[in-house]
Amino acid sequence: MNDLMLTQEVHSPQEITCGAQRLREIARQKEIAPQTVLEVFEQWAAALDVRELREVPGLAFLRLWLRRGTLEPVLLRELGPDFLNGGWRKDGRARLRAFPLGVVGHWPAGNIEIQPVLSLTCAFLGGNGCLVRVPRGLLEITQQIMEKLQEVDRYGVLTERTFMVSFDHSRTNLHEAMAQAVDGAMIWGGAEAVSQVRKLPFPHWARVVVFGPRLSVAAMDAEAWGDRAERSSWCRRIARDVWQFEQRACSSPQALFLEFCDERDPDEFVKDLGEAFQEENRLHPRRQIEPSLTSGICLARALWLLEDAPNRAVFPASPDWTILLGRGTEIPKPTQGRTLSVLLVDDLLEVISKFDGTVQTLGLAVKSAQREEKLAQAAGRSGVDRVVKMGRMHLFSSPWDGVDLIRPMVRLVRHVRSQE
Amino acid sequence: MSAPVEITQCIESLLTAPLYGLDPKARHSSLLALLKIELAYACDRNPRFRNYVEHWPVHFHTADTIADLPYLPVGAFKATPTLALVDANEIKRTLTSSATTGQVPSRVVLDAETAKRMTKGVITIIRDFIGPARRPYLVIDTPENLSTQAELGARGAAIQGLGSFATEVVCCLRRDPEGNTSLDLEKLLDCAAKWREAEVLAYGFTYVIWTHLAQPLQRQGVTLDIPNIRVLHSGGWKRLEREAVTRDVFIRGVASVFGCSADRVIDFYGMVENVGVVYPDCEHGNKHVPAFAEVVVRNPLTLAPVAAGQQGLVQVCSVLPTSFPGFLVLTDDMAEIIDYDECPCGRLGTSFRFAGRVPKAEVRGCGNLETTRYQQGQGNGLHE
Repeated sequence: MNDLMLTQEVHSPQEITCGAQRLREIARQKEIAPQTVLEVFEQWAAALDVRELREVPGLAFLRLWLRRGTLEPVLLRELGPDFLNGGWRKDGRARLRAFPLGVVGHWPAGNIEIQPVLSLTCAFLGGNGCLVRVPRGLLEITQQIMEKLQEVDRYGVLTERTFMVSFDHSRTNLHEAMAQAVDGAMIWGGAEAVSQVRKLPFPHWARVVVFGPRLSVAAMDAEAWGDRAERSSWCRRIARDVWQFEQRACSSPQALFLEFCDERDPDEFVKDLGEAFQEENRLHPRRQIEPSLTSGICLARALWLLEDAPNRAVFPASPDWTILLGRGTEIPKPTQGRTLSVLLVDDLLEVISKFDGTVQTLGLAVKSAQREEKLAQAAGRSGVDRVVKMGRMHLFSSPWDGVDLIRPMVRLVRHVRSQE
Repeated sequence: MSAPVEITQCIESLLTAPLYGLDPKARHSSLLALLKIELAYACDRNPRFRNYVEHWPVHFHTADTIADLPYLPVGAFKATPTLALVDANEIKRTLTSSATTGQVPSRVVLDAETAKRMTKGVITIIRDFIGPARRPYLVIDTPENLSTQAELGARGAAIQGLGSFATEVVCCLRRDPEGNTSLDLEKLLDCAAKWREAEVLAYGFTYVIWTHLAQPLQRQGVTLDIPNIRVLHSGGWKRLEREAVTRDVFIRGVASVFGCSADRVIDFYGMVENVGVVYPDCEHGNKHVPAFAEVVVRNPLTLAPVAAGQQGLVQVCSVLPTSFPGFLVLTDDMAEIIDYDECPCGRLGTSFRFAGRVPKAEVRGCGNLETTRYQQGQGNGLHE
């Protein structure tokens, strides 16, 4: 068993430096073929299909992500077919081949259970060693997921490239040691955390890729929500997107813009949405909540209804879920905790055109393909990085936040033959 | 417009009822009935409040318990415009909470009737703990907080609320032109000499007493020798907790500088949004709910009331205000229910213990834009 695989509580910068050095040597000495990584991933996905992990938020996505069928197209798109076979590809008179950066440091966010592992998989696919700081709240679940990798990785090709560490977020010297020891970094998280990590003393050659902070919204045109036959299905989809990750992910919808239509009653939609939320809550009830989130939810309900007498809301006596209904084109301050603002607007195009770059994902439910084309164009121009079908807002795929996931963690080496 | 006679008479009847001695069922039923009438009145007076109440999952007319009635989170009193049930020309005073720098304070408006009831509420409760006699009143604060202003902070409101027990009032802190606060030791020693045999009342904010009185006197080795003093304090423990000063250290330290027994140092819980109701500790360390109020402690996961022995979010209820909708307020505090009607001190009703402020949520996650888009940064940086 590789002891670096189990998350270690580290206390000194030397522990990090030594661990990273070992990873670098392994990455340099032992090349790992992408096909081998895909093979282990495929087995890992199967091993994760166990009852004790089924309730882990996002695990279904992780299993899907690890499948060859998901990753091969990603690798093909980002690095081309020759990379999959571990070879060089022609580039005019030269040839190109991807090599690992070396050691990639991972600073995952503390709110997404599977994020340390997702981040790690991207760097593995480039053949890198991975130094991962696991947030305290995710230690147990990360450990459980990594134990499954250990079970299937018989020759230790991935486990020997992994060093999982844990230390208090305030230990700046340990963050610094980690930054100094890596050749690349994948940073995920909220505004303040990301800013702090970016300030760390990375080597000048290190590639640093930042994911987040962002927020996401959904939008439906009148034809989509006005269609009684389809409405319930759309409501279930948005409920699913809201429930995942307690609405704390950058891909979680915080608001749903509903295109207004004289002939259709938004109350009917809200009624169906309330039922969908109720059902999702029955299927996936909360086990615990931070008291401050409960306070925040109660306050959001009150402020919304006290702000303007025409504002409406639907919520149960518990803090389980909340729908705030009103008019408006601005994205309200997110409350999270399954609190969705449903805002009636005259024209989706006008709303989407006003986005200011903070929106990561736009979940759409639009009947006309032509209309959707226009909305997607407008979203792209307004800084949105993902435009997806409502109900699939969290499906992890490349590019994420407008950035490739694997390519930034490899070096493309150009070789021009000396004899030519 | 004054509150209807029906409401004022019912409030008066509860204000004059045995403070902690009513039959629990009868008390609950009186409170529930009155709160329903007050909610209806508030809905008539304020369309924003009516909108909130109308969206509550249980219609208040059909509620069987106080816990089912629509409550406002305390942060709602920071909303603009201020939540009022009276016209602007009827407002006699606006109370503001003690918000820290950069935070918006809560604001509650009082008309003459409500202000009168608030004073009566506080006096009735404090009298139960210290007796009815008027006595010298030592204010552990600066004289500035004694002045009568249209807008009054939490400290000023608490100081002035106890003024009815005073035969004379002395402030023992002073503020220099630079705004620094210090102890007026000479004045304090004069008072101590004068009041040695007397029943004395002292009041100050918890951290003010510790920082500006107890610590300086301890450092100088001064004991005031006022054994019959009652030291009331409020305002919370947050600042002292940061300095690792426990409740026990505080009580013993304050009792020692005044030269009184520890049971004469009494902590009480109160807030401007629930003005008129205070919750002093009884001799068993529990807080009790008077006849004209109620406390519900709610499970944060379900918002349902918790059983004895469990902790949750504190909701305070009071029938006293008619100028603002502060009948049912969910606070940002945590408490543990100790018992219902079983405290050995003999006071009936809910007994509880304060368990601190709701811990601030950790800023974390890729969906958190607090410091960029919404410019309300908090927390201290790196992940988690």
